[in-house]
Amino acid sequence: MEAIQSFEQLEQYRERLKASYNKDLPTVMICFGTGCQANGARDVADAFRHEIEEQGLKVGVDIGFKTTGCHGYCENGPLVVLRPRDILYLRVAPKDVPEIVEKSIKQGEIIERLAYKDVNTKEIIAQYHTIPFYAHQKRIALRNIGNIDPASIEDYLLHDGYKGLAKALTLDPDAIISEVEASGLRGRGGGGFPTGSKWRSCKAVPSDVHYVMCNGDEGDPGAFMDRSIMEGDPHSVIEGMIIGAYAIGASQGYIYVRDEYPLAVKNLLSAIGSARERGFLGRNILGTDFDFDIKISRGGGAFVCGESSALMRSLEGKVGEPRAKYIRSVEKGLYDKPSVLNNVETWNNVPEIILKGSKWYAGFGTKGSKGTKVFSLVGKVNNTGLVEVPMGITIRDLVDKIGGGVLGGKAFKAVQTGGPSGGCIPKALADLPIDFDSLTEAGSMMGSGGIIVMDEETCMVDVAKYFIGFLVEESCGKCTPCRDGLPRMLSILTAITEGKGKEGDIDTLEELCEVLSYGALCGLGTSAANPVLSTIKYFREEYDAHILDRKCPAGVCKALITYRIDPDACTGCTLCAKKCPQECISGERKQTHIIDETKCIRCGVCKDVCNFEAVKVE
Amino acid sequence: MEKVTIIIDGREVEGIKDQSVLDVARENGIPIPALCYHPEVSTSGGSCRVCLVEAHQNERMRLVTSCNYPVRAGLEIRTDTDLVRRIRKGVLELLLARVPDSEVIRDMARDYGVGEPRFFKDEGEDNRYKCIACGLCTLVCEEVVGVCAISMLNRSREKAPGTPYHKASNACIGCGACVYVCPTSAISMKDEGDTRTIWGKQFTMIRCSVCGNPYIPDAQVDWIVKTTGKDKAFFEKCPDHR
Repeated sequence: MEAIQSFEQLEQYRERLKASYNKDLPTVMICFGTGCQANGARDVADAFRHEIEEQGLKVGVDIGFKTTGCHGYCENGPLVVLRPRDILYLRVAPKDVPEIVEKSIKQGEIIERLAYKDVNTKEIIAQYHTIPFYAHQKRIALRNIGNIDPASIEDYLLHDGYKGLAKALTLDPDAIISEVEASGLRGRGGGGFPTGSKWRSCKAVPSDVHYVMCNGDEGDPGAFMDRSIMEGDPHSVIEGMIIGAYAIGASQGYIYVRDEYPLAVKNLLSAIGSARERGFLGRNILGTDFDFDIKISRGGGAFVCGESSALMRSLEGKVGEPRAKYIRSVEKGLYDKPSVLNNVETWNNVPEIILKGSKWYAGFGTKGSKGTKVFSLVGKVNNTGLVEVPMGITIRDLVDKIGGGVLGGKAFKAVQTGGPSGGCIPKALADLPIDFDSLTEAGSMMGSGGIIVMDEETCMVDVAKYFIGFLVEESCGKCTPCRDGLPRMLSILTAITEGKGKEGDIDTLEELCEVLSYGALCGLGTSAANPVLSTIKYFREEYDAHILDRKCPAGVCKALITYRIDPDACTGCTLCAKKCPQECISGERKQTHIIDETKCIRCGVCKDVCNFEAVKVE
Repeated sequence: MEKVTIIIDGREVEGIKDQSVLDVARENGIPIPALCYHPEVSTSGGSCRVCLVEAHQNERMRLVTSCNYPVRAGLEIRTDTDLVRRIRKGVLELLLARVPDSEVIRDMARDYGVGEPRFFKDEGEDNRYKCIACGLCTLVCEEVVGVCAISMLNRSREKAPGTPYHKASNACIGCGACVYVCPTSAISMKDEGDTRTIWGKQFTMIRCSVCGNPYIPDAQVDWIVKTTGKDKAFFEKCPDHR
């Protein structure tokens, strides 16, 4: 295929693709995101290929077949979508495939066993877009993911791909920047800096070279929206970067991806290759005099390399360590040249904003946070996965409507947002709108969009300890407060959870938090106090219970709890005694059992196996 | 060079655009404590955090490291506010917990009212327990000496300067610049007779033809001759007898 050399040629090509595309053809779409592949999607795909051949069907004539990016509902993978009827099947196994082809594709029947069953209403819902997990979403960033084959540039073009670029190239660069400013788009990597004004400041710096970069070093545990976008819709990121490069006058771009994302690297490389072939990258893009190309740089996986200045040093081949950003990277960034670094999701929003206009985009979201945001909803909630919703959705709606409520009917206690250096927001603030400013005001942050739901059985001191532990390991070790302060905080928190807390520990923790917030060098350190400060702010009584009463109200901290068998509930079934690894439960059959506390290691096996809820934690 | 006027602790002082606040302060006799700063290093790493000051600019206040904060018009610096003292004290308490045996840190901490740190201490025999991982040695080795024999290895609390894989470095010239600049004297260098040992490598010392004292490693002489073109004969005498 030759490079496309003008806007007219592009549209003619797109029309040809549309003309040959039969949207009524029964089509099997298999999710090939990392999650579904891990769950066996490749075997399912092979089974479909085999079955299609067995039945003598011709792909493209009798049946459509493709693999797509991630639908976000990973815990239920492998996912299979049937178009045009919009049916979603969950946890599909190779053995289900003949039945799907026979019944669902040929006869149009729904196989209820494979469809979504609502955990609360028990209703069976087969229609993709009416499943509560999807019904309340608004997909802009995830617009193509799950619909297109990421390896096919034709599929992207069919879904209006590179239309935003073609439009942008007819505009004045300043007009593009104004459009992005007017859209209100803010950095999706966590900082929330207004994207348009970042571009404008960078463009204003005189230099022979400007750079654009994409931050694909997603490192927050549990967050995988960037991976999903890079894997499932790589062209959207590339298109956004080309538009940004044209706007600020850059001719070279870099995508920094962590090497733990092999599929993202593979799909991006293939997308860059086909974009070059078609003339979207390289010299004289779409026949204009604009040249631009993209290189991929693979990161070694250090958490701190997601921090902008560390990322740039790593890109330069140096040790990925942050530097003081007193002179901003829009002035002196990569190789000391003016540079724009945006997150994957930020770049991916740009083509849509240019194509549909800033007004359309700004129609979603809140006053200070426009558009939508992809969240990774995890923890003690019925539906987990990637969800995209308008900014400003309340915590309650996210947890109840999309998440389907707290797992196992337990009480909702808090959400942790913003990754390891985010904070915990209590149930009392469940009606808080999720946007950049509200979260910061509440003592947490947007971060990359991780939302961990916690129930009544979560100990908030333990949570703070967990996140500080993560940050201790991931601190680069350059500055004193982060390197030497976090381990001290961890040791105090550990002592508290072990029943060795002292009066005054909370004050000491708060003092250390202040040293970090004001004194640390980079964003990792200055925000590292959030997990501790937010839990002290909203759950101080839990700290007090640990320190003063030597009790863990949530029943988590092993040194502070005892397991006891309730004589009224115990039926003497002997199950707990059989399962106890310490063999410290005694009692005759049909008699109340007793736990020997001196030998008990508080592993909780007895409580887990008891069918009568007779084992109590105190 | 563009001159700018800034305010430090209420005084108007003059500096050059993008010069560090610390340089301007010291030129004007305003003391700011610092550990990882050295005037010969062009951009200070800002890692020890002892030189933190309040920077007021564009109606915004933040704590910045004065050693690498660039002087720009309209900047006001406060070096001795309650906040500055409190955070510096916190930083010094953490440094003292890290290197409890360092006299330098102990004295500095005492000035801020820290006698004993409230936290667990890192204690041990080797030099790791004097090193504050500020990285000044590596900056000097790279930028001033120009050999890059050492760099900061590992991360988190394990971070420390060293040669690649902790093996004797081909790049090291035994000059000892790292030793001289180390604020806490944490790098060991031994001169015994004609031999200098540093970073696990031994160097032969050249003796002064006048006084007979060994005074410079031969590898350092080779390096200087190679990079500057200076006559090797120049190094036959030590600086005292040239």
